Amino acid sequence: MSSLSSTPLTPDIVSQDGNSMVLSMGPQHPSTHGVLQIMLEIEGESVVKADCEIGYLHTGIEKNMENLFWSHGQTNAERMDYLAPSSNALCYVLGVEKLLGITDRIPERAKHIRVMAAELTRLASHCVWLGTHAIDLGAISVFFYCFDLREHILDLSEATGGARMHPNYLRVGGVNGDLPSGYLESIERLIAKFPARIKDLRGLLQANPIFQDRTIDVGYLSPEEAVQWGVTGPALRGSGVAYDVRKAFPYTGYEQYDFDVPTRTEGDAYARFLVRLDEMEQSMRIIEQALEKLRVPGPYAIDDPKIFPVPKETIALSMEALIHHFKIVSEGFRVPPGDVYQSVEGPRGELGYYLVSNGENRPYRVRTRPPSLYNLQCLKSIAPGNLIADLVVMIGSLDPVFGEVDR
Amino acid sequence: MPSTQTPPIAGTAIDPPGVRPDIDDAAIEVVTPQALHARLEALRGDGYTMLLDLGAVDYLERAPRFEVVYHLLKMPIAAATVAQVGTPARLRVRCGINEGDHLPTVSDLWKAADWAEREVFDLFGIIFDGHPDLRRIQMPHDWEGYPLRKDYPLRGPARERSPRPSFALKSNVQAGTPPTGRTLEALQEQIRTAKEADRPKAEREGFTAGEST
Repeated sequence: MSSLSSTPLTPDIVSQDGNSMVLSMGPQHPSTHGVLQIMLEIEGESVVKADCEIGYLHTGIEKNMENLFWSHGQTNAERMDYLAPSSNALCYVLGVEKLLGITDRIPERAKHIRVMAAELTRLASHCVWLGTHAIDLGAISVFFYCFDLREHILDLSEATGGARMHPNYLRVGGVNGDLPSGYLESIERLIAKFPARIKDLRGLLQANPIFQDRTIDVGYLSPEEAVQWGVTGPALRGSGVAYDVRKAFPYTGYEQYDFDVPTRTEGDAYARFLVRLDEMEQSMRIIEQALEKLRVPGPYAIDDPKIFPVPKETIALSMEALIHHFKIVSEGFRVPPGDVYQSVEGPRGELGYYLVSNGENRPYRVRTRPPSLYNLQCLKSIAPGNLIADLVVMIGSLDPVFGEVDR
Repeated sequence: MPSTQTPPIAGTAIDPPGVRPDIDDAAIEVVTPQALHARLEALRGDGYTMLLDLGAVDYLERAPRFEVVYHLLKMPIAAATVAQVGTPARLRVRCGINEGDHLPTVSDLWKAADWAEREVFDLFGIIFDGHPDLRRIQMPHDWEGYPLRKDYPLRGPARERSPRPSFALKSNVQAGTPPTGRTLEALQEQIRTAKEADRPKAEREGFTAGEST
């Protein structure tokens, strides 16, 4: 309709035109999980057309990354998808390592630590999704169960990187320091706690008639539509396409791990809910395997002082180490010219970085492929014909993070 | 080691995405803007069902200046198991374009291109002909300029900082809350007198310890 494509938005956000009405939902609406504005054209309570307005959280992260050293990029990358920081950092450092040509020289232990960090962050991200999704539908206790689990993971994140939300633990060439003492024991406690907790969560929602009423057959996304819109991750697998980057293009040693890719064919919000719950269990399987692999000590970073900073204690003893340290802190490292597309399976789908280097110590261009942007885009296609109240369910089931959508 | 690594032959500082044989992340294809739409349509018919991403790069000193990069994935839609998906082929289609030229939209081939093309338009100023709704997406609607271009400044023009009175000065604290609605000159005068009042009396009156003896 013409009334929706008017730019800029008119100051009177509600207007009437025949039978239909234009209503602005957001950007402060609590169920939009951030700052999303949806211009809705409604007839009664059913949606005729939904048009998303994004960009309220645009902070120019890509532009910033072009003006920082290669070694500073992952700090910014973590700020995009702030619920899954380590997935973003992992994708970025893998891309830079490919450009440097050092992928084969990353120690095994560093790879397993990265797998562990990526799966923990997926678990934490799904916890936030499940808690807020349930709150949108009026179930409050799920939120507390989920956030308790997430707290455990954030504590682990704090132990590795010093920060709960943005640990900046994964670095080009390895990870920043070995695992702290007591880390593996804490993982063991998490593994012990998890089965009962996921059983509780399933018990609260999966067979709950209210939850089922609200989610079954809501927001149906056919596999053809999903692929057309570039939807990836749990939303795509909920529509029956078993595409998972970890299996299709294994990275950082995922080929050594034994796990399944849960899929559903229903394509509705309930199917996406079940896929994510199954995914949490699969993540836990990977974490269990990584735990066994991490019991073997070994180097945690590449032995190359031009890429990875030398250990601090050697600086006072060796002139060479001091020079390396000075060079890497003051001017970073140079990356041979070239371009690369690297992607990982983030909690929301295929997260990709297209990196271009012109041989300098700063990236020439960092283009992100944000899964949330493409997933959210399909709202335009699945919302029409549904009730406004179901729109909340659909946004929740697509699980967008606006730091990533807007960047 | 990067220091001893020779840069790839095709890749130069002015043409970074030369083909790097050591990185096999995707097949690379270069097309002209005129052939772009027909080629992408053929590729879609060939099984490239998903447009993974669409982005642009600004090579400021090169002709053509911009390059729009399409990342395609050849994935069967009916792939219900991991084995059926296998390792799908990836293709990177690069299309150079001069400043001011237009590109045909591919949002009629892949719906995913809708927002991606809007973003490229918003941040690089590249116009896609035939796009159903080409307007700014990340920046405000009345924004001027295209922020991801290389000649776009990192920060805005410098602003003059307005002086603030220093409330930590003893004389200010003694005088109580300063009156509001003053002019800049009055404010500066007040700061000057306050600083003056804070100096030791001997120094203020021009005497030093050495002279007095």
